[in-house]
Amino acid sequence: MTVLMFTAVVFSIVWAAITGSLSPLNLVLGFLLGLLSLWFIRRDFRGSRTAFRPLRLLSLAVLFVKELALSAWRVAVLVARPRMDLKPGILAFPLTVDRDIEITLLANLITLTPGTLSVDVSEDRRFLYVHALDCSDPVGTKRDIAAGFERKILEALR
Amino acid sequence: MEILLALVVAAMLVSGGIFTFLAAVGVVRLPDVYTRMHAASKAGTVGSGLMLIAAGLYAGEFATLARAFAGFVFFILTAPVAAHLVAKAAHQAGYRLSRRTVCDEMRLPPKK
Amino acid sequence: MTAHAIVQPAATFALFLMCLAFFLTAYRVITGPTLPDRIVALDMLVAIAIGFLAVVAIKTGFNLYVDIAIALGLVGFLATVAFARFVLTQGMPEDEKDPMAASPRAGSRRAGERSVAQRTARRKTRGRAR
Repeated sequence: MTVLMFTAVVFSIVWAAITGSLSPLNLVLGFLLGLLSLWFIRRDFRGSRTAFRPLRLLSLAVLFVKELALSAWRVAVLVARPRMDLKPGILAFPLTVDRDIEITLLANLITLTPGTLSVDVSEDRRFLYVHALDCSDPVGTKRDIAAGFERKILEALR
Repeated sequence: MEILLALVVAAMLVSGGIFTFLAAVGVVRLPDVYTRMHAASKAGTVGSGLMLIAAGLYAGEFATLARAFAGFVFFILTAPVAAHLVAKAAHQAGYRLSRRTVCDEMRLPPKK
Repeated sequence: MTAHAIVQPAATFALFLMCLAFFLTAYRVITGPTLPDRIVALDMLVAIAIGFLAVVAIKTGFNLYVDIAIALGLVGFLATVAFARFVLTQGMPEDEKDPMAASPRAGSRRAGERSVAQRTARRKTRGRAR
């Protein structure tokens, strides 16, 4: 229930941002619209018992922005070199997280980090296939993902 | 104050332009679909996102800035999804990786 | 030295860079050996167009362009998703066997002849064929 309310509050803030007015009436309207849109997808909320830690989520968001800037920089530098030293390849990353939201979040984060791009999830949901620009050290790359993002996601959502 | 804002906006415009340009160079130079997607989805998103934020800042009113920021968040949420879908579709349809690829664990049986 | 005098040259410079980027990406759309290449390049074109719109908003001071940019982003995302679905259902046409992009352990993987479903099933059962 808290998650639901929090989501509706976030929706009302987004609504205020897009309509460009912070008046109380507009915020209330946004909140009601948020609740309505959540009601449409109420089936998907059933049984999801997500722990909720705003500060950890915030730290995840900060990490995300930092990694995004870094990864854009890396790709730009790589491309600007006269001779690109590429060792691309696809890794199978063993997943510890198992719920839909966690896998989705992890896949999105991986795509926006330096040199990696998630391609697919295996059908038994135990492996995430990741395309890496530098595949010379597969074990090290997998360890970095597990120790970085996956741990953060587990901290924020469990 | 206004000069400072103008300097920030100018810096964002120039760096956004450079990122976009390098992303385009990457799309042309990199060897296969999967590596090209790296350039397009990261540098491209950051480039156009920077410009959008710059436009919001320079407008000098809250409504526009908020909208520009919402647009930026929307882009960085959708860019990975689009890249992921295209990569998955291309791989399933059997488009091959470039010759320089060193490993492809998707074709291997995952280790138990 | 007014704010205007600082921003205008930067905006012009950014427009110049983006024109170059636009032509490079258009080159990839035209020559791009395979369909996914063209999809990625078209996605990139949308991103460049969004950048254009933002710079035009700054140059003209007409803030409605920001909304247009957001709308364009939405449409571009949907278009890319639709293209990806198309590739997924269509599979690879026979004439797109790209000799440049041969798999390192090539063998005779003739993907275009099988449907996607068959291929996925095969991948699952192939076990240690490699």
